[in-house]
Amino acid sequence: MRLKIFRWKAIGPLLLFLAVVVALVFLFAEPVAKSTTEEVSTELLGTQVDVGALDLIPREASVDLRALQVADPFDLGRNLIEADEIRLKLNPEALSEKKLVVERFALRGMRFGTARKTPARPVEGDGFAPQALRAVRQWAGQFDVPLLKLTPIDTIRQLVLNPTQLTTVRQAQSLVSRTDSTRQALEQSFKQLDIRATVDSARALTDRLSKSNVRTLGLEGTRQAIESGRRTLREVEQAKVRVEGLEGEVRGGVETLGSGLKALDQARRQDYAFAKSLLQLPSFSAPDIGNAFFGKVSIDRFQQALYWAQLARHYMPPGLLPREDPGPDRLRASGSTVRFPKEKEWPSFLVQLGEIDFAFEGDNPLRGNYEASVRGLTSAPALYGRPMLVQARRSAAGSAIASIDVDAVIDHVSPRVRDSVAARLRGIQLPSFDLPGLPVRLAPGTGSSNLTFALTGDQLLGRWTIGSKQVSWALDTTGRALNEIERLVWRVVSGLDDLSVEATVRGALRSPRLSVASNLDRAIAQRLDAVIGEEVAKAERMVRAKVDSIVAEKVEPVKRQVTQVQTEVNQRIAAERERLEQVEAQLQAELKRLTGGLAPEIKLPGVNF
Amino acid sequence: MLALLKLIQSIIATLHSEGTPGQVAFGIALGSALGLTPIMNVHNLVVLSALVLLNVSFGGGMIGWALFVPVGFLLDPAFDAIGSRLLAEPSLRPLWTDMFNTPLVPYTNFNNTVVLGSVVGWLVLTIPIFFAARYGVARYRATIGERVRRSRFYKAITASKLYNAYRLFRPE
Repeated sequence: MRLKIFRWKAIGPLLLFLAVVVALVFLFAEPVAKSTTEEVSTELLGTQVDVGALDLIPREASVDLRALQVADPFDLGRNLIEADEIRLKLNPEALSEKKLVVERFALRGMRFGTARKTPARPVEGDGFAPQALRAVRQWAGQFDVPLLKLTPIDTIRQLVLNPTQLTTVRQAQSLVSRTDSTRQALEQSFKQLDIRATVDSARALTDRLSKSNVRTLGLEGTRQAIESGRRTLREVEQAKVRVEGLEGEVRGGVETLGSGLKALDQARRQDYAFAKSLLQLPSFSAPDIGNAFFGKVSIDRFQQALYWAQLARHYMPPGLLPREDPGPDRLRASGSTVRFPKEKEWPSFLVQLGEIDFAFEGDNPLRGNYEASVRGLTSAPALYGRPMLVQARRSAAGSAIASIDVDAVIDHVSPRVRDSVAARLRGIQLPSFDLPGLPVRLAPGTGSSNLTFALTGDQLLGRWTIGSKQVSWALDTTGRALNEIERLVWRVVSGLDDLSVEATVRGALRSPRLSVASNLDRAIAQRLDAVIGEEVAKAERMVRAKVDSIVAEKVEPVKRQVTQVQTEVNQRIAAERERLEQVEAQLQAELKRLTGGLAPEIKLPGVNF
Repeated sequence: MLALLKLIQSIIATLHSEGTPGQVAFGIALGSALGLTPIMNVHNLVVLSALVLLNVSFGGGMIGWALFVPVGFLLDPAFDAIGSRLLAEPSLRPLWTDMFNTPLVPYTNFNNTVVLGSVVGWLVLTIPIFFAARYGVARYRATIGERVRRSRFYKAITASKLYNAYRLFRPE
């Protein structure tokens, strides 16, 4: 019987099965796409993304997203963006290659900074975005923002210092033990050097030669004497080399002790600062005051810019090498999914042009209607070939905001990536804020604000400025009364009508420097210096005297000990070298005498006849 | 419960069906793809269609699926390593790049390490699975098969209505 290969009667059930699959896809595609969009966007942005509804429009190759909310990762009670409707027009050809190319998108009813009904869930886990968020927070935490101390001078009484708290004392104790071990090590090295035998043998030979001459020795005896002399001179040379080696070793040890002494001086400066901090002396250094007043608020601005720049760098890498990302979540292992970009092909994700009209609403000082555009937002900038550009514009003189200009360039086309954003706002109602450490609220009124932020490679340059000529001040003394210095500061600031703050962060990403300057801190510093400068200087002198008195009794013996070791070893080295040079010179003289007229051609090591 | 009953019916009936050991073994070899590789992928639709359309044991396919699901989970790290190796292989990069940029092909998820590794693993294991299954089925039928067929349990299972549905895909 011939075996059949196909089971034709199963075609019907198979087609039925496929029809059921198609029906299920048709029924559940939108809910699945909605939840996948929420899940993937939340994972990618590191903040909760909610989509109210998602409609697939296959005939137009479009997707409609409604009631989109993107929470602010730095303030979970707020939405960064909220949009009533987003229409994405997709490229069908790219879609057939499983690539998402948005030819055009339009956002309507967009709002920024709206309050959420329920706080967003913090995104945790090992995804890139949560890691970036943690890293950026760590980055922000590394800045040493000083607290403004306005303690009245009359509260400074006695300074009680525990010697164990002082770095200098701890370092001095450590240096004592290092000095001891260095001394022991050097002693051991001197013992191992053992040049006594060489010197004694050379002296003995010199004595022997001095009592003889060519006649008494004869030709053979003279030859043997010269040979012995040469051998001994070689031994002396070797001993000198050993002494030089020891000298190098000694120099290293002595230098280490010398650096230990220098470190003590540095530690003492730290101890002055520590002791000063115990007294809580009022600071009237302008940079300190500027940092204390505006440091935190400036860092907040920069860390947000840095977070989005880091995401852009990760999701928009330069070059065309294969990219590996975690695979989809499933019961089985996720594995990794590798993308293989190819020149003149579509990238996996591209927004060619996005046009946005949006509005700030409510009490927001930025309320109004805006226009913005996004070009070239892509997962493979090298394929797109041009930097991503974001622009937002508004001009409306007479309204809460006179003008707003935002330009951002994300240039990841070549390996030298550069991200920059410049935002210029004029005639805006600047938000009020409390001055840290003072019960004073500053309302800058209408003014201007600029933010420029550039990240080139790992070099960061950020500048944030605010300026206003309509500043008002509010004092809140409920809860506590102002002390004398705080009253002085209040008198200074309440007399100011204008405000100009400039915060700059620059340097390598890992070790940036923040500097903040404002007219406020300059005015306060000058006034404080005039009024309490003398008292503070007196207190500082007291601090130094106290630290010096404790440190001196611990440090001076150490210094003496180190100097003693240095002197001792130098003297010993010099003595050993002198002994060797002396005995060498004597031996050479005897050999010269012995061979003077008989064998002038004999060349002895280190001897020129 | 119904699914479990159906699975038992399928296994028992397959082992005693009129299908040759080769047909059952082929079914098991095809069904092992469903177990060894992540199920929600296009290649498994092809495998399922082959199980249904080819004159092989559908029940064998179900046995293969059930047997190789735990094996698939166990071998996932190995599949991930194989897939990673293949996708990172410089000499294969032009092939992957072309496939990645060809319409519809990316929907096979070939560029996922576990999918690629498990499909390659299944292709390598198909022949050994086929021969091992054919030997096993033949031995079963020659030894304890007849005793099981006479048991009450077998009669109860084959009397169930679901068995009738299964017979639609019985090898001819």
